[in-house]
Amino acid sequence: MRDLLARLAVGAPVPVFPVAGGGTREALARLRLRPDVHLVDTPRHAIVLLVLGEFPPGEIAGLAAVHDMIPSPRVTVHWTPGGPRDDVPRSMRVDGDDTALVAALSRVAGEVLSGTRASEPPIRPDVDPVEWRGIGPYGHGGKGMTGGTPFGRPLAERAPDRDGLELDQLSVTVGPWLGALPPGLELGIKLQGDVIQEVEIHPPAVTLERPDGWVRALEVPVPVAELELDRARHHLVWLGEALRVHDLPALGQRTLRLAQGLTPGDRGEVERVLAEVRRTGIYRLALRGLGAVDPSQVGGLGPVARAAGLEDDARLDDPTYQELGFRPVSHRGADAADRWRQRIAEITQSLDLAGRAGDRTAFGDGVVEGPRGRITSDGILPGAVTVDLLPELLTGLEWGDAVAVVWSLDVDPTGVASRSSPEGAAA
Amino acid sequence: MAELGATLTVFLVAVVAIGVVRWVGDTLNPVQLTVPERVPFAGGFDPEFHAWSRFHIRWYSMALLFLAFDMEMVFMYPWAVVFVREGMISLVEMLMFILILVVGIVYTWRERGFEWS
Amino acid sequence: MSPAWAVALVGVLLMVSVYLVAVMETIFGLRVSGVRGYGRAWALPMSRAALLLSQRRSVTERPDAQAWALAPALLGGLGAVALTAIPLAAGVEVADVDAGIVLFGAALVQVMVAVFLHGWAANSLFPVLGAFRMAALALSVSIPFSLVVITTALPAESLSVGLIISSQESLWNVVRQPLGLPIYLITGLGFSFWAPLQLPDARDLSGGTSAEVSGAALLVWRVARASILVAVAAMGAAAFLGGYLGPWLPGWLWMAVKTFGLLAILVWSGHRIARPRMETAVKLGWTVLLPLALVDVFVSGALTL
Repeated sequence: MRDLLARLAVGAPVPVFPVAGGGTREALARLRLRPDVHLVDTPRHAIVLLVLGEFPPGEIAGLAAVHDMIPSPRVTVHWTPGGPRDDVPRSMRVDGDDTALVAALSRVAGEVLSGTRASEPPIRPDVDPVEWRGIGPYGHGGKGMTGGTPFGRPLAERAPDRDGLELDQLSVTVGPWLGALPPGLELGIKLQGDVIQEVEIHPPAVTLERPDGWVRALEVPVPVAELELDRARHHLVWLGEALRVHDLPALGQRTLRLAQGLTPGDRGEVERVLAEVRRTGIYRLALRGLGAVDPSQVGGLGPVARAAGLEDDARLDDPTYQELGFRPVSHRGADAADRWRQRIAEITQSLDLAGRAGDRTAFGDGVVEGPRGRITSDGILPGAVTVDLLPELLTGLEWGDAVAVVWSLDVDPTGVASRSSPEGAAA
Repeated sequence: MAELGATLTVFLVAVVAIGVVRWVGDTLNPVQLTVPERVPFAGGFDPEFHAWSRFHIRWYSMALLFLAFDMEMVFMYPWAVVFVREGMISLVEMLMFILILVVGIVYTWRERGFEWS
Repeated sequence: MSPAWAVALVGVLLMVSVYLVAVMETIFGLRVSGVRGYGRAWALPMSRAALLLSQRRSVTERPDAQAWALAPALLGGLGAVALTAIPLAAGVEVADVDAGIVLFGAALVQVMVAVFLHGWAANSLFPVLGAFRMAALALSVSIPFSLVVITTALPAESLSVGLIISSQESLWNVVRQPLGLPIYLITGLGFSFWAPLQLPDARDLSGGTSAEVSGAALLVWRVARASILVAVAAMGAAAFLGGYLGPWLPGWLWMAVKTFGLLAILVWSGHRIARPRMETAVKLGWTVLLPLALVDVFVSGALTL
């Protein structure tokens, strides 16, 4: 029976739960396009735990916990685009490109399913979070009506509601490996029902994703065509990931596929896909009116600033862009819907610029307009500033709306990494 | 009642069949989990508290509105059967009844009962 | 129909149609994602099922084990019951009850209970959030849903689905009551919490009520959910598209064609329409669909007289 099931199961895409560190944005996008791999949103649906990218030194936050949540048969695969990682234990390590990785994922999944490779035992010890067995009048650790630690955890605390009532409030740390949030983003939140009362940003669980091309443009002039194609690609990958979280994964895959090998000549196809995104009604149904920012707080934040009506763009000061007749697109609403419209408009604008730029070069004097905003040589990336906006914007929102706002800002936890370790940014 | 017997049998067989599939799964892959394997998922960190809490439902006024309309639905079923026989008078009667309820929707909408964040 | 035949017929029909829904879902997904060549889609649901059966079921720290076991069984049972209310061909009625649409409606309303239990039982944040989303969603769509179904009973002067079908000999209800079918399909998506209204099991909740479910338990949950969608489509075909009525082809074939036509529309919309915010879904139900459904009742009623 088991063998028969294992043989049948080979035809299905391997369910993989990714723990994605810095520098893996593009690699994840490519993996989502592979028909033999299915990146899942919760470890409960996975067989393979895939660890990829760069992390702060020491243990990877939450990795052991997520590993143990995968139902057996489970297996871990480590793959780092820039070379293997030395400090991770018990690894089935894969070197090589995406194809090698996909082949390895299928192989190990087949092996654990058929039983030729043993399922990995849990990493963490089999110990209760707190002593509760046999304690209290019913032996379940409870005390009184709602006190104590029944079955090992206390019940929710109480806190005043905005209507002046005392109601249950649940404190929980979400992330860093929650499929609904960008990888590495870790938030401490307090919830009453489905509404967020308080948000606290934790240090990120990933290290800096080096935006090499953009950082290089700080010092030497770089071809405009290259920069603008990079920008369009960045926004397309953002769009693909955000569409997935909004439960349009197939359309998301379509945009991720566009991002692969993008050229200015793809403009027609890009416009067709963007029109399809608009036709889903996502602005009206899911984004309008959410997470409006105060324009005075978003200076230098690229699309976020321009969506709030600011003509804030380092390209305006660059002679090459002036020569190309560059005018920034902008929107007035400052909400999530306008941030989507803004980036979608910038995709076609960038393709247009890339097509007209020829071999002109731009920047090189210490300021660059990156896809998330202004990059300067002080090492703080715009993604970090965006993360700082979250506590104020998310408070008072329903959970799903909060997720929509996080994605509309194109939050980058690795930007926070740049702030906490300036030497990382200089590297 | 004999017809409902078939329906009831179908229901029970479907329930049992799904139970059997689950049981087969448990037999193939016995469920004996250690403590860390049972921790609820929230992204990598253990929850501090039980998720079961007195959940603050902010759409409670909508739920009350539902109750009013649900009672009305009970009257709609017999009304639909006699509708053609009774003619215009039944239409007007039901229209009056419903219009009173619709006032409830307008009121809830004005009080922002359908919004909660 | 004797209980043994009823079980066999409903069982086979549900298995086949749930499998076809899974195939359709794959094909539409591939299409929208820009991949051509759908040969693989036919065997994929079977491979996926085998994979789930090879995985272990997950249990959380302190779940409500009985409710967790009951939820998918209840959901599947309700899908099967809803299907028994619908005549599949002339004279082929699994349960020839006088009040067929009442039985159907009663089964669908319980879906909320099954989904709520499924989310609540895990004692985990995201499933619990999903459970309460289902409650809000189901309360918002059930009144317009019931209204448009009852409206189809007006011309038939009966609550029997068989008589509702035969009342459409001259004209299908989709023409006679043009508002009915669109409202029925949107609210039906809500009841089967299918994309774009899959709010309780959405990705922003990492799978919502299914976030802690794995292995065979996840397989039966997905099958049960699809069975609700099948029942919704079959009832849509019977109440609005004349069910088994139609020229040339045998009645059961007409019923199958119409049901799968509606299923295709429902599955297609999941890939083409964005998932609304929770608030937007509630507002849509109460301030758009419900008033339109009332217009449907009274205008169709007046025209029937």
